[in-house]
Amino acid sequence: MPRAIVLNPQDNVATLIDTGEAGVACTLQGEADGTVTLRSAVPFGHKVCVRATPAGGDILKYGQVIGQASKNLEVGDHVHIHNVDSARGRGDKPGARS
Amino acid sequence: MSQTFLGYRRPVGAAGVRNWVAVISIMDNCNPVTRAICEAVDGTIPVTTLFVRGQYGHDLEVSLNTLAGMGRNPNIAAVLLVGLEEGTTEEVARRIRPSGKPVEAVTLQPNGTINVIAEGTRKALKLALAASNLRREPCPVSDLLVGVECGGSDTTSGLTCNPTIGAMADRIIDAGGSVIISETSEFFGAEHLFAKRAVSDTVAKAFTEAVLRLEREAVGRGMDIRGTNPTPDNIRGGLTTIEEKALGAMAKAGTRSLAGVLTYGEPPKAKGLYFMDAPAPAVENLTAFAAAGCQLIFFGTGVGNPIGNMVSPTVKVCGNVNTLRTMADNIDFDASDILEKSAKASSLGEKLYSFAVDVASGTRTTSELLDVRETAISRFAPTI
Repeated sequence: MPRAIVLNPQDNVATLIDTGEAGVACTLQGEADGTVTLRSAVPFGHKVCVRATPAGGDILKYGQVIGQASKNLEVGDHVHIHNVDSARGRGDKPGARS
Repeated sequence: MSQTFLGYRRPVGAAGVRNWVAVISIMDNCNPVTRAICEAVDGTIPVTTLFVRGQYGHDLEVSLNTLAGMGRNPNIAAVLLVGLEEGTTEEVARRIRPSGKPVEAVTLQPNGTINVIAEGTRKALKLALAASNLRREPCPVSDLLVGVECGGSDTTSGLTCNPTIGAMADRIIDAGGSVIISETSEFFGAEHLFAKRAVSDTVAKAFTEAVLRLEREAVGRGMDIRGTNPTPDNIRGGLTTIEEKALGAMAKAGTRSLAGVLTYGEPPKAKGLYFMDAPAPAVENLTAFAAAGCQLIFFGTGVGNPIGNMVSPTVKVCGNVNTLRTMADNIDFDASDILEKSAKASSLGEKLYSFAVDVASGTRTTSELLDVRETAISRFAPTI
């Protein structure tokens, strides 16, 4: 069973430390336990959603904001650049923090 | 924990962990001669550079100070400067002389390539013979100035190698030594946490302002930094945003107070943990560390970045089991036990501290032995 680490109890993502195939249950370690079933393949080192998050909601890792969801996220979703936006260094985005 | 290493005492300042004769190019047009001299004489290292010719103002000052800083670095026993003309060559020489070490120079004008290689080779031979008379002796760890870097990062970096380096950094500082963290852009999203560790409001403001100034410059150009930082390999390794990368990168600074903020290549004036405002890419950042006088650099990597610094031995620390298998030739210290055996970063940090003392005492690093080393001084303005 692939392993995924939750670094802070507030986090809504876990980091896989094994390769995860779609449909498999992944064991949570660290600041959470239980399992999460992967809705799609998640490569080694990538993140999986462990708490449903609406589009625009903060993505939390280390208990800190690492970006915002650009789509609604379900538990088990692969969380990466296709569904998370960064708020920093975004000269392309009017109104981004500067 | 050992409080001493076997180093080379210098006429002025801290002891070195290596004893090289540095052959330093004053500008790019001197590099072929620098390389030829180093190929001819064992015990020398080539410190090459690009540009300098045509640089002016602050940009030129940074370059000259950086070249001189690498010459002053305690790892260097003696310096041979290779210049095109005498004026700029003397500008660098006079900045190195306060170190009290031998400084010689050769210039291409009016001697020409063959003659200057011959003259430079004879001078380097004499300097290397003299340097070989120096012996290692016990020196305090408080002499050490250590740079902490990360490159080729992925999500294992913030969980394994960087916390291990951070735990070692705390021990270096507790032993009376100093540590520099840099890579300004890699605080975007973590600066609020690091600023809290500043010894004063002034230091906190200087640090935060350095980070926000760089972000304003990028935003002011209308640029989206994604794809540049995080880099394509960071993203492949699972890092989604610069904020995520920054939070992991900060771990390599350990937990001690932030004593001050340094400019590119600037040596700290006191002991403790410092932040240097300098560009993140490894080669130019490591060059700034070497110029500041770092005798050692600890470099956390996830998906793998082999490059090291010419003057300051660079220890590669990795906790990604895949990279440890595929790029084993380029890794000096394995931090994968944190994920694979639930080891604590503090206990691996203690092992890394012992390894730091070993490397300071003469144990070689993979980037030295494979000669995967490069020098690049950051540019801050166009040439004219």
